[in-house]
Amino acid sequence: MSKDKLQYDVIVVGAGMAGSTAAAIVARSGLKVAVIERGVKPGSKNYFGGALYTHALLDIYPDFFDRKPPLERPVTETGFWFLSEDGMVKATVQGGYVNSDPIDAYVALRAEFDPWWAEQAAAEGAFFIPKTLVTDFLYEDAKVIGVKTDRPEGDVYAPVVIICEGVNNLLTQKLGLIDHDLKISKTALAVKQLISLPAKDINARLGLLDNKHGLAISVIGDVSLGMPGLGFLYTTNNALSMGVGVTLDALEETQIKPYELLQRYLEHPAIAPIIKDGQLMEYGAHLIPEGGWTTLPKLYTDGAMVAGDAASMVNAIHWEGTNMAITAGKQAALTAIEAHKKNDFSAKTLAGYQKRLNETFVLKDLKQYRKMSAFLANHPEFMDIYPTFLNDALGMFFTGFGKPKGKLYKDIFRSLTRRRPLLKAVGDLVAFGRAITGI
Amino acid sequence: MTRRFWVFIEQNQGKMHPVAAELLGVANQLVSEIADELQASGEETSVEGILVGHNVTDIAQEAIQYGAQRIHKIDSPAFEHYLNRPYAEALTHLVKKYQPEVFLIGATTLGRDLAGAVATSLKTGLTADCTKLEMGHFRKIEKKLLLATRPAFGGNVIATIVCKDHLPQMATVRPRVFETPARNAKAEGEILEEEFEVKPEMMAAKLVEFIKDNNAQLNLEYADIIVSGGKGLGNPDGFKLIKELADELGGVVGSSRAAVDGGWIDYAHQVGQTGKHVRPKLYVACGISGAIQHKVGMQDSDYILAINTDPNAPIFEVATLGVVGDLYEVIPEMIKQLRAQKGASS
Amino acid sequence: MIHLLASIKQVPDTTNIRIDPETGSMIRKGVPAILNPYDAHAVAAAAEWKRKLDGKLTVITMGPPAAKEALQECIEMGADRAILISDRKFAGSDTLATSYVLAEAIRKIDQDDPVDLVFFGKQAIDGDTAQVGPGAAIRLGLPLITYAVEISEINVDEKYAVIVRKTESGKEIIQTSLPAALTAEKAIAEIPYAALPDLITSLKFIPEVWSADEPLAYDENQIGLSGSPTMVAKSGTPEAHEPAETISVAEQGLSGAVEIILGKMLSNSSVASLLEELK
Ligand SMILES: Cc1cc2nc3c(=O)[nH]c(=O)nc-3n(C[C@H](O)[C@H](O)[C@H](O)COP(=O)(O)OP(=O)(O)OC[C@H]3O[C@@H](n4cnc5c(N)ncnc54)[C@H](O)[C@@H]3O)c2cc1C
Ligand SMILES: Cc1cc2nc3c(=O)[nH]c(=O)nc-3n(C[C@H](O)[C@H](O)[C@H](O)COP(=O)(O)OP(=O)(O)OC[C@H]3O[C@@H](n4cnc5c(N)ncnc54)[C@H](O)[C@@H]3O)c2cc1C
Ligand SMILES: Nc1ncnc2c1ncn2[C@@H]1O[C@H](COP(=O)(O)O)[C@@H](O)[C@H]1O
Repeated sequence: MSKDKLQYDVIVVGAGMAGSTAAAIVARSGLKVAVIERGVKPGSKNYFGGALYTHALLDIYPDFFDRKPPLERPVTETGFWFLSEDGMVKATVQGGYVNSDPIDAYVALRAEFDPWWAEQAAAEGAFFIPKTLVTDFLYEDAKVIGVKTDRPEGDVYAPVVIICEGVNNLLTQKLGLIDHDLKISKTALAVKQLISLPAKDINARLGLLDNKHGLAISVIGDVSLGMPGLGFLYTTNNALSMGVGVTLDALEETQIKPYELLQRYLEHPAIAPIIKDGQLMEYGAHLIPEGGWTTLPKLYTDGAMVAGDAASMVNAIHWEGTNMAITAGKQAALTAIEAHKKNDFSAKTLAGYQKRLNETFVLKDLKQYRKMSAFLANHPEFMDIYPTFLNDALGMFFTGFGKPKGKLYKDIFRSLTRRRPLLKAVGDLVAFGRAITGI
Repeated sequence: MTRRFWVFIEQNQGKMHPVAAELLGVANQLVSEIADELQASGEETSVEGILVGHNVTDIAQEAIQYGAQRIHKIDSPAFEHYLNRPYAEALTHLVKKYQPEVFLIGATTLGRDLAGAVATSLKTGLTADCTKLEMGHFRKIEKKLLLATRPAFGGNVIATIVCKDHLPQMATVRPRVFETPARNAKAEGEILEEEFEVKPEMMAAKLVEFIKDNNAQLNLEYADIIVSGGKGLGNPDGFKLIKELADELGGVVGSSRAAVDGGWIDYAHQVGQTGKHVRPKLYVACGISGAIQHKVGMQDSDYILAINTDPNAPIFEVATLGVVGDLYEVIPEMIKQLRAQKGASS
Repeated sequence: MIHLLASIKQVPDTTNIRIDPETGSMIRKGVPAILNPYDAHAVAAAAEWKRKLDGKLTVITMGPPAAKEALQECIEMGADRAILISDRKFAGSDTLATSYVLAEAIRKIDQDDPVDLVFFGKQAIDGDTAQVGPGAAIRLGLPLITYAVEISEINVDEKYAVIVRKTESGKEIIQTSLPAALTAEKAIAEIPYAALPDLITSLKFIPEVWSADEPLAYDENQIGLSGSPTMVAKSGTPEAHEPAETISVAEQGLSGAVEIILGKMLSNSSVASLLEELK
């Protein structure tokens, strides 16, 4: 074999949403970029809920929809389902703002979308190297000048490396950008099943007109058994993607197995009829970094930047992850291009990445929601008491026939105060408001 | 003209492979399914065994007792050991001479090696690893055809294959997919000595040495009682408990593929689509979920007892009786009670 | 110089298959296509011997354009030349037609650059037929060693090879003159983990593509649907069964449950008589 060293202008680690985006932008500028991915194919190791957000996709490819992307259904109805032990309150919205043109969010299957997203980058000129694990970095004068891989003769050189390795951010740790392992209080484990059902059943059971209509639902309440966590339901063309995500420390503390939690959710009396006779197509588990701002690593160093889940760029409350990954991947790529123009790959130039990101929703939102994960950990009542109260309150209100209404309201009120003193409840609400506005 | 239904009589070192008897049973069944056609046309049929080897007259007799009306036998030292080329050429020659309608071959190591070569030189169709065979109508074709059903795509799909314009219609069948027919010691049949000259170029490959594998003595396919363990054992040591129960019941040990893939037990023990097809009188499945690929290999067992912690495990769909419980509790208790019973009756 | 040839197939990964509950047919979408595992091991063995003997390795496949990826994987393992035989006219080929297409291609390659040993996989995991290798070998008039688990020797000068094959009763050591053909078990060689430069070469590799007319004019009556004697009359999913009677240890208690099951089992006469024999 040739003894020439493998040299590129930019190396991207990981062909997920962040990585393939960064590669596309770099390649578009004419630079030589290699994307190294450990999976057999981009996407083969990835999966999510989940929905992709149109704004981010169009930002990278303005003709995105003309490229025939492998999307499932658009999200035409979205919102919360609140579960009590045996009931459910639905608070969803459709039409109005949700019926935008184009629709804001699309459900997708990562096993199909990621390879396609990578193909778009390949068409821009990015070179994908699959089946190869990046194990470490190559340094010169303490500056990153490339990566080591697990293959024989596996060193690859580039003056700048963009790390898009996802939630299990071993390389980011290796570089010392972050000083801790996955913080278990700040990481959620999501388990999900993809359950196939004939489209006509999905449409009938969920009140969707046809395959051009779809649902993205966050489920709160009985699904997480009081632990900080959410359930979800997304509709693909012929399947339902259903799962639960709960923080690792809560799982450890309660000794509840995530799979049992999911099973319980699927057997809930309001959920079971939806998936009746469905066939399990896929089962999987994946981590979600939920620390956001609090676990944000240093985003750059000499010769390297980090983007996406690897940098905790997820807003768990809004299920925003892919759009943050795409946006960050793009900003990292622009910074790499700038560094090549200046021919300076030091931290000083790469600091431009952080500046660019500060101007985007990514860091703004993460900062605003910085108190959220602590808030949820300390306020389990949002996971059980309030959803149950909501169920009781509406249930009582709509069954209180023949009852003096004064007594009805008292009953409803008592059903709250029995569980949570009024003052506390008001306090909770204020605290929630603070957490979400970041004040 | 006689409508001939042929069965390849596989033999090894002077012993008939039991799959040959099973196929003779099937061939007779197939013939009975065209009785209506025969009545109308006045044609004759015969179920015939094709036997190639050296000093195999006894086997010819055995095949007759299992239902062959006629045996075509090539008996010569050149065929002492199986080799693909000479065997394939010999069979091709016989088919060309007699033009059978159906030709069944056991899907053993030897049979699969042979069938592909024979079908190709005859330029006819061959359906591998059939799980069901019947004579039936296809589209508007007047004569009934061999409808050969087999699993595909890892057992996820079941397909029925026909070979409508070519003869013979060939199929291979795994041992134990069909029952062994009753043996009739008084049956009589004709044995025809056939000639075939082996040319030197057919002998380009020669057997130098044979190393017997003692594990092969296991003979899982023909065991009456099988106790199988799966991934639910949790670790390789679990097979000690399985063996204990098997010994207590006088059976042999089987396994799922997950246990084999995990390196817990040798492949020779694997039951299922890519392992062995079994039909014991008693099959005990311990910690096996019952994936379709496992079920197809054991669902013909007479009595199936399944032990699994998961009440929804698909294994319960084929079981005769199921126990929802931990095998590490249930099996020791079974052994205990079985021993107590034995103690009581002796 | 020795010339080895491997015939490989790209198959859907049957461990990952999903069936459409409505139509009973396979959902191809999202099912990864892989190099047939047995073929991968066959190519690994061939690559090992080509390196050892400083020879040449050619791989061929008949399949759709996407099968190029499977050929690239063979290049990654060390193949020197790869040919994709691809044409709509081949669609619907059964094992007989496939063996014709492959045998003719091998004959053509052999004319220009004589082939010494042809490698097939034991079987392709999509159809599990194990017929194509034996079929192609007999068309080519080659001695065939199926279920090969080891190649002990290849003697280039004296043109013979010693190959170990596994049967139900043991191992056979076969000496064959060359040229010859074999079908490989996984044990024949480990899949190597290629060096990064080799992987990169393979990713950029573009195989030769042969059609049904060029460089070989195939007989249209022997390929595709018209060249295939077998056809699928119908297909569907395996039938479901009713669940059996179950006894729960949680409800009956351990000894109670076991008592019940042993009692039920022994009330079955055939099981009872089997166990009776034991005593
Ligand atoms: C259950 C669930 C539901 C979700 N729902 C949504 C949703 O609805 N909407 C949304 O926007 N987001 C959602 N998310 C979050 C979203 O999936 C992630 O934020 C997003 O995928 C992050 O992209 P990424 O490129 O940073 O990482 P990934 O997509 O995880 O990509 C990382 C890639 O790097 C590769 N890799 C890692 N280490 C190495 C290495 N050392 N060498 C080579 N390759 C390596 C991996 O194989 C992988 O391909 C959800 C997540 C989960 C788990
Ligand atoms: C092409 C193809 C061919 C295949 N061929 C075969 C084949 O020939 N044979 C075969 O078996 N498989 C085959 N498989 C694999 C098959 O699909 C399954 O993966 C395999 O059978 C699963 O093995 P298992 O039941 O042991 O493991 P699992 O599916 O993991 O099941 C383990 C079971 O043990 C139970 N369990 C766990 N702990 C306990 C306990 N303490 N007590 C009691 N129960 C417990 C669990 O509830 C579970 O049901 C094939 C697959 C493919 C794709
Ligand atoms: N389309 C094909 N192209 C090349 N080789 C094939 C093809 N189909 C089958 N083979 C070879 O034949 C072997 C047996 O395949 P099968 O008979 O389909 O089980 C495979 O392992 C391959 O080596």
